Amino acid sequence: MRAKLTLASSLVFLVAALFAFLSPELKDVSPETFAAEIPTNSQVSEGLTCQCGCGLTVANCNMPTCGFSVPMRHDIDRMIGEGKTRAQIIAFYRHQYGEKVLSAPTTEGFNLLAWTMPFIALAIGGGLMVFAVGRWHSSAPADSKPGAPPESFDPELRRKLEKELEERR
Amino acid sequence: MPQLGNLALAIALILAIYSIVANIYGARRNAPDFVVSARHALWAMCAMVTIAVVVLWAALLRSDFSLEYVAAYSSTTLPTVYKFTSLWGGQQGSLLFWTWLLSIFTSIAAFQNRRRNPDIAPYALAVLAGVAIFFLLMMNFVTRPFDLLATVPAEGSDLNPLLQNYWMAIHPPSLYTGYVSATVPFAFGAAALITGKLDDGWIRSTRRWAIFSWFFLTLGNMFGARWAYEVLGWGGYWAWDPVENAAFMPWLVMTAYLHSVMIQERKDMLKVWNLSLIGLAFGLTLFGTFITRSGVISSVHSFTQSGLGPYFLSFLITVTLAYTALLIFRSKDLRSPAEFESYLSREAAFLFNNLMLVGIAFAVFWGTIFPVLSEAVRGVKITVGPPFFNRVNGPLALGLVFLMGIGPLIAWRRTTTSNLVRSFAAPVAIGVATGIVAAAAGLRQWYVLTAFSLAAFVLGTVLVEFRRGMNARRHMVAEPRAKALVNLVAKNNRRYGGYIIHIGTIVAFVGIVGSSFFRTEVKKSVHPGDSFTIGSYTLRFQGLDETDTPHLESATARVQVLSADGREITVMSPAKLFFKRPQQPATKVAIRSTPASDLYVVLAGIDDSGQTATFEVFLTPLVFWLWAGGLMMVFGTVIVMWPNVRERAAIATALSRSSTDARELADAAPGGE
Repeated sequence: MRAKLTLASSLVFLVAALFAFLSPELKDVSPETFAAEIPTNSQVSEGLTCQCGCGLTVANCNMPTCGFSVPMRHDIDRMIGEGKTRAQIIAFYRHQYGEKVLSAPTTEGFNLLAWTMPFIALAIGGGLMVFAVGRWHSSAPADSKPGAPPESFDPELRRKLEKELEERR
Repeated sequence: MPQLGNLALAIALILAIYSIVANIYGARRNAPDFVVSARHALWAMCAMVTIAVVVLWAALLRSDFSLEYVAAYSSTTLPTVYKFTSLWGGQQGSLLFWTWLLSIFTSIAAFQNRRRNPDIAPYALAVLAGVAIFFLLMMNFVTRPFDLLATVPAEGSDLNPLLQNYWMAIHPPSLYTGYVSATVPFAFGAAALITGKLDDGWIRSTRRWAIFSWFFLTLGNMFGARWAYEVLGWGGYWAWDPVENAAFMPWLVMTAYLHSVMIQERKDMLKVWNLSLIGLAFGLTLFGTFITRSGVISSVHSFTQSGLGPYFLSFLITVTLAYTALLIFRSKDLRSPAEFESYLSREAAFLFNNLMLVGIAFAVFWGTIFPVLSEAVRGVKITVGPPFFNRVNGPLALGLVFLMGIGPLIAWRRTTTSNLVRSFAAPVAIGVATGIVAAAAGLRQWYVLTAFSLAAFVLGTVLVEFRRGMNARRHMVAEPRAKALVNLVAKNNRRYGGYIIHIGTIVAFVGIVGSSFFRTEVKKSVHPGDSFTIGSYTLRFQGLDETDTPHLESATARVQVLSADGREITVMSPAKLFFKRPQQPATKVAIRSTPASDLYVVLAGIDDSGQTATFEVFLTPLVFWLWAGGLMMVFGTVIVMWPNVRERAAIATALSRSSTDARELADAAPGGE
């Protein structure tokens, strides 16, 4: 138990030291932080997809002569300067280019399927797994004993060590 | 010379067809001579494809623009190393390279199985030859690498500037190696289904192939991310681009497979599941190739678009249907006397791990194909980009990380609550303490706090497991600590190599979370002598150096980096390049990497007078650890794959016995975790 406490406290100390070292670097810059503030160009352009064919967001397309993202980033700067919100700017571009300009599907109509399907599939998969496990469980022998705890002398490791010792003799 | 390439590919196709016929005839009629002859045909096929590759390489290095391919993807001024790498820079060349790898792996598999697996090896080699036939048909009749131009141009069009980077010299070969080597375990799985030899012999025979494939998929994904980080110049490394997704999905499924086969080896369970996973992994490699080459979904990585999409789609559908039919046909034989005793067991942890991995793979697949689906159903084009993938996969990744911590410390069959508490007390304490320390350090985002806590928990479980193993050795063999650690890993390489991979994964995960949530950026236009700051750094623009070569023009900025106390740390050199042949500009970023953060400087623009330069600068915390974690994963995989005499003996014995005997041996085999 003492050894465990020593290990745990050393690790906690290590983690604390690491955070003390890194904390100036880890400043909160998530979009949520700026929700009530003036949006930055990248917060807006991250929500829009470049149409030059690169497949990246307007924020990330870095082709120096891109005819789409370069002027759009300038226009976004201008609109931010005019006091427009992120939602207003994105709505403006959606109206102009259609849904394809958004970097993620909307959460309405058919698009809702995009967001929900992975979790529905996961739930179905989980359900099937529980069903299969239930069937396997019922076929398991009733008198089986719990597996040995993987404590300091893991039985598998013990067996191998004993074999190794035997070989050395 | 081009005629030699065409001839070699035609002969390779004939040899592949012959090897299928001879392998199947030999196996069915019990005619070993035919099987031997089929094996020789496969080696000859490999030799023929090698000749074709050498011919194309020679043409590229000699700038023989009479070949359409060379004229399209090379130039006289292209540096030699990129002439060499342009073999996989275009459609036909990359297909030839793929086929070459496939023929090499097929030959190795044929050699490995010349005396073992007599029942299933001929069928497995026939499947491998079948896949090779598809690619050879493409190259002989659809997209020929040795087509000649009617008029020979004086100069080639050059390789895409984005591909003129050293990471592209190693990223595609790594990824292709990962993709193509997945064909071997798939072929043996299919052969097991065809022959009805459904014990775990095929898994044991191809375990190293599966790990090899996983290893190279890991490398391929890591190198690709690094390429994107250094070349695309947006400060990130992963944009959930369809081609990135296509490389990530087989990795996820192969990871699930490598975990679930342990259950089959140990308990003879999950036969259908394992066969399905390896089929899925192979199918996803074809899907990835289909995406890259079809142009169905636009991608920044689609350098090899062509009209091959329908052929690949047809092949993918055929393979999927045939394999599914085999699975259904053998479904009765695949039933095993499964025993599952408790949810508090390692089996359960592995099952949930599989669920999460396949769930994430499905989410990635779904997001990748949803634009096509939307257009088909609604007639509306939409984009599914990073916000979708991050939001959907973020929580799933947390679940997966949690399960990574559970698996190593929980017993097979079942464990008691008291054992559970005893095993997890220290790791849970470490995880909770990390969360508290992170919150005290000012972090407030729930995802980051949870991610860092879980990462610490998982590292805690792995460290506890190492400590236990070392203590066991110290008590029983009386070894000093360092020797106990080395021997522990060396004598249980599969198990502890796996734990090192887990550590690497967690370190990479911390890097991903840190770099995704805390990146800051500054964009400034400055004159020589002007300074600006980002984080604790001050950047001073000193001036521009211009160079002009026959291949490209470049303008390189000198940016002095100063610390908060005004001390010079380094001088960085971001550049703008202009490639003359394709008349295409590109950026060369400058990166100063430290364990705390990366300073990433992009020369975004230069005004016409050359006096004002615009810089885009990113400060990305912890991204260093993504690459460090990747290296640890590589190191761990090398340890797992390290030849182990006892394991080899166990495999040999298992292959010569019935499946029941083999199951018993699983317990005795080293690292049968």
